[in-house]
Amino acid sequence: MNSQTKSQFIAVASITSELSAVMVVAKEISLAAANAKAIAFRAGDKAKGFQPITDFINELAKETIELVTSINVYALLLYRLTVNEYRRTAAYNRFEQAAKLANGAPYANSMQEPINHARTVMQDCQRQFKRDVTQLLGQLEAVMHHARAARVIAANSRIEASQAGEYLQSLQAVAESVDKAAHTIHDNVQRCRIALSIYRNS
Amino acid sequence: MKMTKIYEGAHQWVMFGRDENKPDCIIDSNQYIVRTPNKCLLLEPGGTELFAPMMAAVLHHAPVEQITDLFASHQDPDVISSLGLWDQALSNARLHAPALWEGYIRHFGCESIEYVPIPDNGETIKLESVELQIIPAHYLHSPCNFHVYDPQAKILMSGSVGSAWEGAGAPVFVERFDVHVEKMRYYHQRWMPSNQAKRAWIDRVRNLDINILAPQHGRMFKGDDVKRFLDWFDALQVGTGV
Repeated sequence: MNSQTKSQFIAVASITSELSAVMVVAKEISLAAANAKAIAFRAGDKAKGFQPITDFINELAKETIELVTSINVYALLLYRLTVNEYRRTAAYNRFEQAAKLANGAPYANSMQEPINHARTVMQDCQRQFKRDVTQLLGQLEAVMHHARAARVIAANSRIEASQAGEYLQSLQAVAESVDKAAHTIHDNVQRCRIALSIYRNS
Repeated sequence: MKMTKIYEGAHQWVMFGRDENKPDCIIDSNQYIVRTPNKCLLLEPGGTELFAPMMAAVLHHAPVEQITDLFASHQDPDVISSLGLWDQALSNARLHAPALWEGYIRHFGCESIEYVPIPDNGETIKLESVELQIIPAHYLHSPCNFHVYDPQAKILMSGSVGSAWEGAGAPVFVERFDVHVEKMRYYHQRWMPSNQAKRAWIDRVRNLDINILAPQHGRMFKGDDVKRFLDWFDALQVGTGV
């Protein structure tokens, strides 16, 4: 296995790993939203501005979880494609080697058709991989968008929390946890994008 | 890859082995083909590392499109791990292999080749006018294991039975049986698990008219050495690993 193939395997495998961390964080946001809702309810009029924000936070967490779940399925397909491409490339190389060794054999020319076929299939796999990576990068961009939205919500939450009297600290803690989670999601997804971007369609 | 024609009649048998370019860390193995006018059966195709030299060697005898049948006596990687490559090279081929091992052998890659499962009691492979008998050899050494007998050529491809570990330069036929015995003893004692299975196989094989006994590793036995081997194996206690 050459170093480029190894890097490709690592890049694809790392997506699943990074995204499972994102999933954990998204679930934490969902929990923070439920917590915030309970506090806002107890705070009554003092946290009136905070109540709709909790729904936003919850919605955002749910969407992120759904998005990551679908990306994970896609990442698995990409992994299978990587394995297939590896097998096809290995076969093509072995066929070329066989043809070279068979030089002068009465039926050496009959290897040409399997070689041509293997080359076509290998190139199809490579093109498909690039297409799929481009699509996956698009999906990862959507998660980044959610992370950015979560940070805006966290900023708004802080403002609303400042007017919540004795509930200020509790609601600020919620805002902080949403902001921290959004940061984590952003960083993890960004790492996936960097790992994959070299394979995208130019 | 060394090529030795071991039968020449209306069809041919060719033995391949002693590949000088084989990596030292993998065991040497014998491959065989049965060639009829328009078809070619590849017996014990070998491991992945051997695919390119093996394919190149076969191209001296048959074009790719006439490699129509493959046979694997059992599931081991030195027997059939090249399957995934043959699968991509051959457009119209069948693999005859133990039914019991189908789910395992398919791990090597078997999408375009048709897997023809061999039942426990064996069957026949028809290659144009040649009819080959698949002889059960269970537990020798694999739990589901078969050998191939050609009554016309009087050749028994005996898989692991009769095998010995040899270097790349070793002759393809046993020259002095008494000397060769020591090269086979440990292999058979350690690899073959059951005296009962050995007994059943010897009883079955003694009824066959065999001129050449062709194992998957080491040297082939010819003429009187076939009987000498059967007598020696009959007296050997196997399953010594426990």
